[in-house]
Amino acid sequence: MPDQTASIESQFWRQLKKNFINWSLLRQIMSFVLFLGLWSIIVVLVNYFHQIPTPKAVLMALFDLPVSAVLINILKSLARVLAGFFLGILIGFPMGVAIGYSRVAKHLIFPAFEMIRPIPPIAWIPLSVLFFVHNESQIVFLTFYGAFFPIVYNTMGGISEADIRLPRVAMSFGLNKRQMLWKVILPAAMPQIFTGMKLAMGITWILVVAAEMMSNNGGMGYYVWYNHTVMDYPHVVLGMGIIGLCGAICSVGISWVGNYFTRWQRIF
Amino acid sequence: MESKPDGKGEGRILIEHVEKVYDPEGVNVHACRDCNADIQPGEFAMVVGPSGCGKTTLLNAIAGFDNATGGAIYLDGKKIAAPDIIQSPGADRIVVFQGGALFPWKTVMGNIIYGPVMQGKMRVDEAVSEARDLMGRLGLSREIEPLYPGNLSSGMKRQVEIIRALINDPKVLLLDEPFRALDNMSKGLMHEYLLSVFELTRKTIFFITHDLEEAVFLADRIFVMTTRPGTFKAVIDIDIPRPRDFRVLTTERFVEIREHVKAQVEEESMKAFEAGERELA
Amino acid sequence: MSDSKQASEVVFKDVGKMAVFKKTHTVILKNCSFTVESGKLTVLIGPSGCGKTTIINLIAGYERPDIGEVQIDGKRIIGPNWERLVVFQETALFPWLTCYENIMFGPLARQVMSKEEAHQETLNLLVKVGLEDFRDKYPSQLSGGMQRRAELARALINQPKVMLMDEPFRGLDAMTRQLMQEYYLNLFEETNASHVFVTSEVDEAIILADNLLVMTNKPSKIKKIIEIDLPRPRNWNMVTSKRYLEIKAEALELLHEEAIKASTASGKVDVDLSGLLETTRAD
Repeated sequence: MPDQTASIESQFWRQLKKNFINWSLLRQIMSFVLFLGLWSIIVVLVNYFHQIPTPKAVLMALFDLPVSAVLINILKSLARVLAGFFLGILIGFPMGVAIGYSRVAKHLIFPAFEMIRPIPPIAWIPLSVLFFVHNESQIVFLTFYGAFFPIVYNTMGGISEADIRLPRVAMSFGLNKRQMLWKVILPAAMPQIFTGMKLAMGITWILVVAAEMMSNNGGMGYYVWYNHTVMDYPHVVLGMGIIGLCGAICSVGISWVGNYFTRWQRIF
Repeated sequence: MESKPDGKGEGRILIEHVEKVYDPEGVNVHACRDCNADIQPGEFAMVVGPSGCGKTTLLNAIAGFDNATGGAIYLDGKKIAAPDIIQSPGADRIVVFQGGALFPWKTVMGNIIYGPVMQGKMRVDEAVSEARDLMGRLGLSREIEPLYPGNLSSGMKRQVEIIRALINDPKVLLLDEPFRALDNMSKGLMHEYLLSVFELTRKTIFFITHDLEEAVFLADRIFVMTTRPGTFKAVIDIDIPRPRDFRVLTTERFVEIREHVKAQVEEESMKAFEAGERELA
Repeated sequence: MSDSKQASEVVFKDVGKMAVFKKTHTVILKNCSFTVESGKLTVLIGPSGCGKTTIINLIAGYERPDIGEVQIDGKRIIGPNWERLVVFQETALFPWLTCYENIMFGPLARQVMSKEEAHQETLNLLVKVGLEDFRDKYPSQLSGGMQRRAELARALINQPKVMLMDEPFRGLDAMTRQLMQEYYLNLFEETNASHVFVTSEVDEAIILADNLLVMTNKPSKIKKIIEIDLPRPRNWNMVTSKRYLEIKAEALELLHEEAIKASTASGKVDVDLSGLLETTRAD
């Protein structure tokens, strides 16, 4: 009964706040402190690492940050990520649906797909230069490529692994194949489809950084690489942190959207 | 292992004023209070009661997984649970669990001989022949020996688990709703199997269940537990003669006893339901 | 049963059905013939793996027989439609729709009711199954018993000719199960459909059935038909009556016979490969 459990739960939380929350929070803060401490110590003690910036140096670099330049770089990277990501959805999603839903499509497309999939996206960098003239397109091609495979794969999975009884029920209610897809199969496959999108988002960030490092065209990857060439390592580390933050924010964004579309799953 | 129809006098479980209080994050959970029972050697004892009433807690205390916070439990005079002792599970009281707990990476034979071989009580070849002897007596085919648990049906898994327990020659077999997930037909076969095990070895059996027909069909005595905090509210003698087979289920005496037990348990279930305990499927 | 025009008769004529699983072929049904009498509650009971679910699928139209025919009112069943609806063992409610939306789904999809009509009917059924306070909840927010009730409502709103129940109360605790059986019996009395109910619980089978069909092991057919002449409406006191015990004794005897045959079939071992099928190694 919900009321009973609510009162037991609130008792539980009260006790937790009283006795335990200090400890666990303390431990978690300690985790950061330990990490920073270990970082500082290793850099100082290990001779070989003397060029690696200390946490303090990175912090100093933060104050020195050329804010507007960095912002432009972030936007550039973001634009490339989003372009590739949405292209990935545009092309990958229908393909995933086709492969998952139609036997014929699966037999025609899937074998080739599976053959190409193991090739890491980064290995495509040289060929991307041949496909596209403009550097921007080359980079977007890569981010698209990275997003494409997880989206197709998970969309296909979500559709083909949907509980078989649900379409059967729908068949009994007289739905035709087209209605079946939109009203039953796709909603049922939503959780898996969003898993694919989350994966895709993560991969596009990895790719954009790699591609930018090899181009001369701005973006956070370029920023990190540039600072490396001028041996400004505190800014390198800072750049790394910023990339991580951007990637995390994007992932959270996708999660939010996904959670909205699959709220029926989580409510319990 | 020889047939021991008179129980050899071993396996007496004495439960005295046992109490168990949990304290998860400061919310006192009073699982058992003042539980008293004297289970005789070679007796088939069933424990029934509403969900969450502390049956499993008691079993865990007897098994040595979770100590009592008050009172004491004695096995043949030796204290096995009490606040003043440090518990350890032993091969003299073996548990057969609900979900089945065979090692999925070992074959049937590997699972069965695990206990005695690990403890150094038997060599591998001795254990294997002992296992084969038991399997033969209980009607299990030798063909299953090299199979992995993943390839067995649920009923068969239970059968293997019971043999795995038996080969260690425990004084007591503890069963926590082992047949719950089985469909009715498999359950019926498992009951016959367990009864043949019982006739063969006359071990003390401590069996927890929700299925009242199962309880009345198998037991010598049924211990009815109240809702939390659980204590034994009634002990019902099952005076149906052994050996029993499924035809017993439709006799008048059986139905009489079953209805009686049902009334007792339902009373408690209603209290539990109202107190917000929900039975989970 | 005031208007038996709506109830239908389902006939199995010498049906054979095989299942193919990886490299093994298993004959599930062979020479299976029986009649589901119009307007009655027919219960199927038998050993696990004996094809009870296959029979449900054949009547629903999700599968076709390899041999023989399945007919409804004299016409061969060739596919699923609203006339024969299933309530499954584990909930098959559409998880992304609320209770209310699930129940409305059928009539709207079939376009046999306007939105207002469907709304009204849905509300009526929600009250009938006691879920009016839960109409906007998602299936994941409902308990097992509630989910079953919602599924019953989702089927009943379409006024099917045949209701197919595939062990719908399995996995529920004893008290919920009993309540559900009562609900179900009430609904059965009120509707004009023929019901086919699959179960492995003997007590459930007897208290519900008009006709109890006991099945054999694979390859399965009907071993015996027991007519349950207990009066309707049924009530729980009947469980201790002499007639009930007679019926139960007979059913247990038959089932036990089949169970023994299965476990001692000339030393062969029943190996469960997928949890769904039990195949016996060919000799």
